[in-house]
Amino acid sequence: MSTPAAAAVRTGVALREALASARESWTDTATAGCAVAVAAALAPFIFGGLIATDSLASGAYLALAATGLGLCVGLAGVPSLAQGAFVGTGAFAAAHVLRHTQLPAELCALIGAIAAAGLGTAAGFAVRSLDAVRVAVGTWLLSWLFALALGALPWLSGGAQGLVVPTRRLFGFSPTPLVHYELAVILTGLCALSLVALRRGPFGLDLAAAARHRGAAAALGVPMERLRVGAFAASAFVGGLAGGFAVQLDIVADPTAYGPLLSFELLVAVLVGGAAAALGPSAGVVVLGLIALAARALGSLAGVPSSRFQPMLEALLLLAVLTTGGNALVPAAIASARRLLPERRRQSRSAVHAPGRREALRADELSKRFGTVTAVDGVSLELTPGSITALVGPNGSGKTTILRLLAGALPPDRGHINLGAHELTAASPAERVRLGLVRTLQARAYFGELTVLEHALVGVNRTRRHGGAVRALVSTPLYRAENRLAEANAFAALEAVGLVGDADRPASELTGAGQQRLLIAAALATNPAVLLLDEPSAGAAPEDLERLTAILRRLKADGLAVLLVEHNLSLVRAVADEILELELGRVVRRGTNGRL
Amino acid sequence: MALVAAGCGHSSASKQRTILIAVDAPFSRSPYIGNTIANGARLAGEQLTLGGITTGGATYRVRILQLDNALSPSRAVANVRRALREHATAILTDGTGVDATWRLADRQHIPICIAYQGGNKLVNPETRPNVFRIAPTDHGLAFRLAEYLVPKRLKIALLTDDSDYGQAGRDALDDAFRTVPKAVAARITLPSTASDLAPQVLEARRSGATALLVWARPTVLGKTVAAARSAGWHVPVYSTPAAEDPVVRQQLADHPSWVNGLTFASGRMTAELGPAPWSAFEASYESAFGATSVGVKSHGRRVIAPPDYAMYSYDFVNLMAAAVQNAGGTNPEKILSALTQVSTRGANGDERGFNERNHEGVVDDDVYFARFADMVFRPVGDDPLSSTLPEISQVR
Repeated sequence: MSTPAAAAVRTGVALREALASARESWTDTATAGCAVAVAAALAPFIFGGLIATDSLASGAYLALAATGLGLCVGLAGVPSLAQGAFVGTGAFAAAHVLRHTQLPAELCALIGAIAAAGLGTAAGFAVRSLDAVRVAVGTWLLSWLFALALGALPWLSGGAQGLVVPTRRLFGFSPTPLVHYELAVILTGLCALSLVALRRGPFGLDLAAAARHRGAAAALGVPMERLRVGAFAASAFVGGLAGGFAVQLDIVADPTAYGPLLSFELLVAVLVGGAAAALGPSAGVVVLGLIALAARALGSLAGVPSSRFQPMLEALLLLAVLTTGGNALVPAAIASARRLLPERRRQSRSAVHAPGRREALRADELSKRFGTVTAVDGVSLELTPGSITALVGPNGSGKTTILRLLAGALPPDRGHINLGAHELTAASPAERVRLGLVRTLQARAYFGELTVLEHALVGVNRTRRHGGAVRALVSTPLYRAENRLAEANAFAALEAVGLVGDADRPASELTGAGQQRLLIAAALATNPAVLLLDEPSAGAAPEDLERLTAILRRLKADGLAVLLVEHNLSLVRAVADEILELELGRVVRRGTNGRL
Repeated sequence: MALVAAGCGHSSASKQRTILIAVDAPFSRSPYIGNTIANGARLAGEQLTLGGITTGGATYRVRILQLDNALSPSRAVANVRRALREHATAILTDGTGVDATWRLADRQHIPICIAYQGGNKLVNPETRPNVFRIAPTDHGLAFRLAEYLVPKRLKIALLTDDSDYGQAGRDALDDAFRTVPKAVAARITLPSTASDLAPQVLEARRSGATALLVWARPTVLGKTVAAARSAGWHVPVYSTPAAEDPVVRQQLADHPSWVNGLTFASGRMTAELGPAPWSAFEASYESAFGATSVGVKSHGRRVIAPPDYAMYSYDFVNLMAAAVQNAGGTNPEKILSALTQVSTRGANGDERGFNERNHEGVVDDDVYFARFADMVFRPVGDDPLSSTLPEISQVR
């Protein structure tokens, strides 16, 4: 067979696979989403007499910007208040390019989006490690800075008259408000689909995990900061794209239009509509439109401009949503629909174990001081494949600190750590997980409402090679194939701890002991050589202890090296090969299980 | 339904037709300016409708559509699009967003008239054939100020604020004082958001200035006067129409004497015909909308703001009615053409009109000077034009 013919066959096979995959993952929600998209596309013909098409088009671009913000708020759980600045960056960058070049309108908008993504990357880098409150404050300040810069730099903003932009054909069409509207609906639909694809893929799952429990995500090697910067950049890109096209609808880049109020309104839209739902931000924008109408009515009654009421009503709505549990419109509607519709059963999947890694971990003379307190003082240990080493000792003896030093959560003051031939002393936690060293946390550190299977998938994501955000967006054959393998590996990890039957349940519905086993499963899903367990029996009932004992014995039999920090000495006696007793950061006794 | 029935200037179903004037102004952000423009237009509309406009076998009434632009160019674009959808015959604006909106309106041959902003680049009959203005221009104000101040041999500190209004003023003043650089002691920018302008005023004083010419928003002007007077500097202060904004006197109400001597340039309220036309207009305005109270008193009597900027919008609506009559209907192209051919008697008695080469309704020579005393202003006596103008009563 000739090469082009072979390529055509491969393409055909890939397309059939893609279609089959789409059919398999098609849900009632997807059907509803399609219906909404069709209705949105027809809106100008239905509401043409009631709402002006240019107002609809402006609203649709706002929905696009809000959907972009959904990437940040919904996926990463980061309450960005800078989306207005990103929209403005896109608008002004596109306006300048339109004014000074003859480039096509679409390319100008794309350049605006890239400029916004640049600003988003910088902003994301600045707030990558901040908590939600500080992110909100930091991004709010960025919005103000952007607005002040536009006011202070007339050469950039065009002053009070703004920057008037020339109009050019859009994708071969005359740039009428109707064309802008349909374009905005298509882009919003694509963005919503991307949101769904990303949320289901490794990128979204890792972000969701990091948003729900940073410590647990870090322990599994999720590169949180990099993902956050990525989410900011993607969010800003979509916002900039909305700005770049909207400015061509407005025919002027208006320095008064991209202030902090726009950022606030976009965040309100996302939170009211539902950050986690792909169509939530668009629904939120529709609600904002209704609020504008209500404000206008109130303004007419009071004889004052509607602008006095609109932000107040928006803030009230946001407060109402937040104080009533934050269950936004679209997620609430989906939940109601699911209660009414029969639940689809997941098809049974096979479990495939990843090829095991067998390497020894060696730590030499580890020391760590906190001020005047010596937490760990010259501790050395070696974890060999197929063995369980237990660390015991009273509270404050340094057990968890040793675990954190080994996992990379703390840098040692002195000492070395090696995994096989790899020197790990300066490696990041994510790097250690990638090389085969993973730990579980002491507390019930699970990822909120993520399902049991999704927890395991977060672990599997560390082993993936073709799970990047771009591959997820276009769903390449390699990505889909790896998806199937990843799910099988995740099932294998769940099988190892007896949680396969709970795969589709939210982790929050498991018992405490079940959640501990889930943490072990997520760690196993990273395909580790060395497993560091921090008090896995905490709060376990006797029958849970038996199950845990069996699990640990099986892990040992499978060749894993396990370090067990445990207060429950009966569990230690049941599974440990070697026991190290710590006191004031030092190993005071060391011996095999039978002799110590 | 009501909109369809009433808002369409092209409707042929009825003999009663509508001349729709859309007023696009900053009602929410600068209500004084927005309401002044709208009230002037509404007053003219009511009078014209009452008197009847009959042409081409049909009778017309004037309807005013108020649209808030909130000083935002993109809102102005949206407003103009709405006005065009509703078949507006003309658009009256403070000037916000005209750079973007004129082209939209021009496609349908709809005239836009600016009734407040004086920027030099806003009006150009060759490149913007549908843009007109009835308001003093920045160029006219600046050159009249230079003409008035230079012979006094003052060393003038030019103080402009950092707003767009101030920056446009600085450009106009630079132009006007270009040939007399020795008259300028300093050029200083006033930060709009600063609560105290003492440092800038001190800088002006140290430059050897013997007069201040302030081109700034009303609140900044008030703060500048307060900074100079509180430092004991009784330097003469000159300004633009911003000085007659009630805000300035409200700011200085605790020190009425500080307002004394404040001199400003503006469009004259009376013409060669004397005060009668203005008085009639003012009486009609107050009868329709009430007098605009400044919020201060002069010799125990309430001070009111004369509706001088309302007369510009009033005059434009009258000009539009004349153009409709001249065109024999509301055909936009014919009206646009007629607008450069007709003229009317303005509210101050001046002849108002445009021609093909000049779309400015207020000529530079109509700029006069007035000086405050006891919270009211009257024309100055040391300017040839101003000295001939009568004093307009501003107390009730």
